[in-house]
Amino acid sequence: MDFEPTEAQQQIRTQAKALAGRFDDAYWRKCDQAHEFPWEFYEAFADAGWLGIAMPEEYGGAGLGITEASILLEEVSASGAAMNGATALHLTIFGLNPVVRHGTEELKQRILPDAAAGRLHVAFGITEPTAGLDTPSITTFARRDGDRFIVSGQKVWTSKAKESSKVLLLARTTKIEECAKRTDGMTLFLADLDPKYVTIREIEKLGRHAVDSNEVFYDDLPVDARDVVGEVGRGFYHLIDGLNPERILIAAEALGTGRVALAKAAAYAKDRVVFGRPIGQNQGIQFPLADSYAKLKAAELMIRKAAWLYDTGQPCGAEANMAKYLASEWGFEAADRSLQTHGGFGYAKEFDVERYWREVRVMRIAPVTQEMVLNFIGQHELGLPRSY
Amino acid sequence: MNIIVCVKQIPDPETPAASFKVDEAAKKVIPAQGIAPVVNPYDPQATEAALRLKDAAGGGKVTVISLGPDSARDAIKHALAMGADEGVLLNDPAFDDIDNFQTANALAAAIKKIGECDLVLMGRASADWDMGVVPLGVGQALGVPVVSVAKAIEKTANGVKVERVLDDGFQTVEAPLPAIVTVSNEFGEPRYPQLRQIMMAAKKTVQVWSAADLGLGADATGAANRVMPLEALYVPKVESNVEIIEGDSPEEKARNLAQKLRAAKLI
Ligand SMILES: Cc1cc2nc3c(=O)[nH]c(=O)nc-3n(C[C@H](O)[C@H](O)[C@H](O)COP(=O)(O)OP(=O)(O)OC[C@H]3O[C@@H](n4cnc5c(N)ncnc54)[C@H](O)[C@@H]3O)c2cc1C
Repeated sequence: MDFEPTEAQQQIRTQAKALAGRFDDAYWRKCDQAHEFPWEFYEAFADAGWLGIAMPEEYGGAGLGITEASILLEEVSASGAAMNGATALHLTIFGLNPVVRHGTEELKQRILPDAAAGRLHVAFGITEPTAGLDTPSITTFARRDGDRFIVSGQKVWTSKAKESSKVLLLARTTKIEECAKRTDGMTLFLADLDPKYVTIREIEKLGRHAVDSNEVFYDDLPVDARDVVGEVGRGFYHLIDGLNPERILIAAEALGTGRVALAKAAAYAKDRVVFGRPIGQNQGIQFPLADSYAKLKAAELMIRKAAWLYDTGQPCGAEANMAKYLASEWGFEAADRSLQTHGGFGYAKEFDVERYWREVRVMRIAPVTQEMVLNFIGQHELGLPRSY
Repeated sequence: MNIIVCVKQIPDPETPAASFKVDEAAKKVIPAQGIAPVVNPYDPQATEAALRLKDAAGGGKVTVISLGPDSARDAIKHALAMGADEGVLLNDPAFDDIDNFQTANALAAAIKKIGECDLVLMGRASADWDMGVVPLGVGQALGVPVVSVAKAIEKTANGVKVERVLDDGFQTVEAPLPAIVTVSNEFGEPRYPQLRQIMMAAKKTVQVWSAADLGLGADATGAANRVMPLEALYVPKVESNVEIIEGDSPEEKARNLAQKLRAAKLI
């Protein structure tokens, strides 16, 4: 067993941290308050070639694994960029995984180099208001019309849709009642977010304001058949192939956000003197922080293991789910304790921990809820009856 | 054009004051818990200058050297990731706790050992001790001119033309080569490494040279042979008091303040 990161992984950590360090908390506070996409940050990472970190070299990427991508996103989050920074990058880093794995050569050549260079923004449109986590009950429908499809329906929570020109869209091409299995009959498209047929409405939300999330309405949007990703009718299966790396990266982001929150708490607890002693001298403050430290270290190990399994081509479903579960649970707990440690100042925007707290909270819900992860573990690891 | 860049790894200057501690008995800085050391901020500027000069010359080699502990390899790797060609780490227990003069001699010995070198570039100072004397010592040891605090460097037919930053303006000087030039922050932002180059740098081996490899005997190294013995090391205590000056009117407050200041012999 070898826990030593490779030289390249070490350098990636150092350099990702250095580049992210150029954008301080004040920058993120401003982007968050102004609901402004962090363009300067995004372009710095795009220009230095980071967006293509996990894309194959033949399409302009660096050809590295999920281990390296997780290190990048952990350091970005831990710089104080939290989810505002991580989401701005990760949609490109793993959102296009189904295209890499299942797209035609023509599609890959057309899309990936531009995405890796940061010129092309692609949103991710899966969730629907009436389907929820039960993805097979989506109703957005793509009907065949010669050599194109016509898409109608509604998605919700599509992040970064306002900045994106394309969306990786899951739609039914066969009605659920006509399918042998309910997970059949869905197709993935790389569709244009053409304002003539697509209406985007931003959702007001708790945090991560620098990256919008939207309701998106599709009204007879034409999509060329060459923009089908993978096989018609197999979209759901193509999509779940990419879920494990997504979970691992989300976990790394929760870990990074937990780390920065905890570091702020420790620094504050050392400095802040009340009743004639640093507050961190009280075990009521010190123990929860120490407890969070231990938990984040444990979550990190699960992330590393899951990433290693994925990168070495082994099954990693349980580990990826557990990494996501533990990191988002404990990342949020660390942020909450940091907020408590800061007392009233924790509630003030100026101290940034409330921003971390708001942002890391989402990881317990998206891209998959904690409950669904427990369903997975209960059913697949413990062999319990499926509960839903 | 063959250029050597000297880089140094230092404690992070952003370390919060509360985490900065020294061991007064051992006369050493205690590394701050959990805060990794960084590349001296002026050094990437020196590397940037070297890369631009090499490009302008249409070829050559940029070699990076650092004297320091094992971890100083990271400072070298940073320069390699920016695009430098080779790296050498001067690493030996005999270099522990040596002073600026001994450091300068060791760097000069390494520069001689590398051989072909038109220009040596260094940061204007290292942000830990902020003395800026090592480049002068290297110049002395090599017997070559030193031009300090550059904001622009240009290769000319006979040498280099350097724009220096002064307190009250700029000064342009020329020097024959080989020479040493120290680079200041006014030079401009150093490039951020490209992921591809980071990967290439990770694959490069950094050579390690000991004191013996540099032909430095026991009398030239070691804390015992410091030219500048370290007498004491401590963090100065800064005490501050706040006193609110009372008074019924602004004039009276000002009068009371003036009297206090005079009593304290401050005015
Ligand atoms: C900030 C943000 C950004 C997002 N970005 C995107 C995006 O870019 N693209 C995209 O497609 N989606 C996106 N989402 C959507 C996200 O993936 C969904 O919100 C998430 O999958 C949960 O689905 P739901 O909201 O419909 O919850 P529901 O399915 O309505 O679930 C509600 C609650 O019931 C629980 N529950 C439901 N079924 C069960 C069960 N069988 N057992 C136990 N508990 C159950 C859930 O765990 C949850 O707690 C985003 C969401 C947020 C908040």
